[in-house]
Amino acid sequence: MSLAPAIETAPPAMPFKARLGGWGTAILLLSVWAALLIATGLYRPDFFAHQTLLAIAFTMAVVGVLAVGQGIIAISGGFIDLSQPAGLILSGLIAVRLSEAGLPLPLVVVGAVLTGMAWGALNAAIIVFAKLNPVIVTLATNFIGLAALYLIFQLAQVPNGSEIYHFGRTNILGLPAIWWPMLLIIVVTGFLMRSTRYGRRTTAVGGNRAAAKARGISLKAMRFGTFMAAGGFVGFAAVLFASAAGPFNPSSASTLQLNVIAAVILAGISLAGGRGNFWMLLLSVGFLSTIPTSLVFFGLSSDTQSIFQGVLLMIAVAIDGYRARRSPT
Amino acid sequence: MFETRNTRALAIVALAVPALLGLTSLATAQDKFKLGMLVGGNTCCEWMKAQGDVARALAEKEGWDYVELSNNNDPAVALKNAQIMVQEGAKAVIQFNGQPSSNPAISAVMKAAGIPIVTYDIADPGMYFVGIDNLAAGIAGGEQLGMIIKDKWNCAPDLVISSEGAGAGIVNEWRTGGMRTGVKNICPDIPAEKFVSFEGSGDAAVALQPARDLLAANPNAVKMAVVGINDGGVLGLINAAEQLGRADQVIGWGQDGAFITGDNVNPHLAGSVFYFLEGYAVYAIRDVIKPIAEGKDVPLKADAGDPASKVQPCPVSAEQAKAVPDMAERVTQLLAAPAGTTAYDLFCPNKG
Repeated sequence: MSLAPAIETAPPAMPFKARLGGWGTAILLLSVWAALLIATGLYRPDFFAHQTLLAIAFTMAVVGVLAVGQGIIAISGGFIDLSQPAGLILSGLIAVRLSEAGLPLPLVVVGAVLTGMAWGALNAAIIVFAKLNPVIVTLATNFIGLAALYLIFQLAQVPNGSEIYHFGRTNILGLPAIWWPMLLIIVVTGFLMRSTRYGRRTTAVGGNRAAAKARGISLKAMRFGTFMAAGGFVGFAAVLFASAAGPFNPSSASTLQLNVIAAVILAGISLAGGRGNFWMLLLSVGFLSTIPTSLVFFGLSSDTQSIFQGVLLMIAVAIDGYRARRSPT
Repeated sequence: MFETRNTRALAIVALAVPALLGLTSLATAQDKFKLGMLVGGNTCCEWMKAQGDVARALAEKEGWDYVELSNNNDPAVALKNAQIMVQEGAKAVIQFNGQPSSNPAISAVMKAAGIPIVTYDIADPGMYFVGIDNLAAGIAGGEQLGMIIKDKWNCAPDLVISSEGAGAGIVNEWRTGGMRTGVKNICPDIPAEKFVSFEGSGDAAVALQPARDLLAANPNAVKMAVVGINDGGVLGLINAAEQLGRADQVIGWGQDGAFITGDNVNPHLAGSVFYFLEGYAVYAIRDVIKPIAEGKDVPLKADAGDPASKVQPCPVSAEQAKAVPDMAERVTQLLAAPAGTTAYDLFCPNKG
């Protein structure tokens, strides 16, 4: 009996990447994150403590929600929104003023989210009607927005003892109260982007604008929709930020930007648009939020985190570029 | 012919009158004293803007021209602003430069132009020094906190945490180092390893995450004293402790008094050291600028130890600070007070 026919009829060898399905990024992120956790735990066994979990979870909350907004812009082909710090501070200021007026937390949230959406609509209007590059527009609106905010206020702080103040300091099921909305937002957005027409269209526009237009999708409407939705997430992140940050000034959110962009790229959401899984944000944000805490346990200064974040960002951008070159057009 | 001559005469008169008026007003403008103000421009702190507001109001009271520029907390901008002040014809300049690396160059520009310059809080050999002795203010605050540590923890804290603001350079070293020295003056036996620090940038919101990490890395510390470059940096750690459920384990003492007045004072901020930074222009104008405007010779005193005008630090507990109005009200009262009255005179509850 010859073996030849059997060899001829065997299915072609499946590439390793294909066998992983779309979960290669998740496995890679989980592995790196686990390695970091284990290394820190071996060096300092008290790393595995509830205090550490709280510290990391608090850091994740604001960055995670901002990353969802940034991810929507990226996957829709808008590249990145550099105006998030200004949008966050503006919405945070509204949250502070509303809480100072004695409004209940749900109304404070609504006010901040609407402000964020209005900020996103302003960006979209300039991009769509002036036909300008989103990166340049958001860079400019961030400068203008922060400068205008400097004229309006120097410091803002939610009132001690207010509902929003307690929200930023309360734990639910052993984790910060502000962490749970972040989890919910990432899980639900990941589901909506896969399972709804709007989500699929957003991804389609980012993947191939010409094809999307040919299918009758309004690119202008999509751009407005994505920037307003992303702005809404910035507005919600502002509530989390204002609740936890204590007194803040217009430049207090500038340090968040790098972390947010790094989280989006590490999650595999392509800056070129059309590709990405929002659930991966949980892993990338968790990993990035663990780094500074680990560094402190290793006895390194927390400000050295910028070096690690910068290097990680370069690696992530390189991987993103590699993926973009390899992906079928 | 006659008409032509008349027309020429009229034209000459018509041109001469405004020209003469212009020359007169130019002469008046040149005679008028012009004060230049370079505000710090760091968005961390309300007082930076208030310093300009007070200087402007006092200059207007004196009948001087006033021009103000912001250094944007950037040494290159500060130098450029100094050059603009020369072009603007300022007769004297006041600056707060939180990035003092450009001070020698600014000093040289002003010296070449023959313009006297006052610098707040950060000394330079070519500038009149007006301000606080930051080291002395640090020590004063540290000693107050040391007394609390002694009373509450019998001089045996688990940690003395310093919230640094390295961007402020030598001022950070003076204030936070001074506070550590002050604590040690009261409790000399605290071991060196109990003193730890983190970079909080003097901003409560920015300090929050590194403060949380530091607390997480010291899970067994339950008696923690916090010092810092300013109230904001100290508050960053207190807020972090609240989030980790350890607020009752920390006591903070700040510098600058930014968060120790008003309705929103954190109960774990035990006190601060007021400099009443918003009112520095009173000292500068009273002791340096006005005598110069009056043509007097004011000797250059550039050393913080022997300043042109010394601002006194005012350490206050949170309880005492309740009697001190907030900054906006202080500015209002300061500008309504007789010339030369300082904010320390008006508001310090602990006048030595």
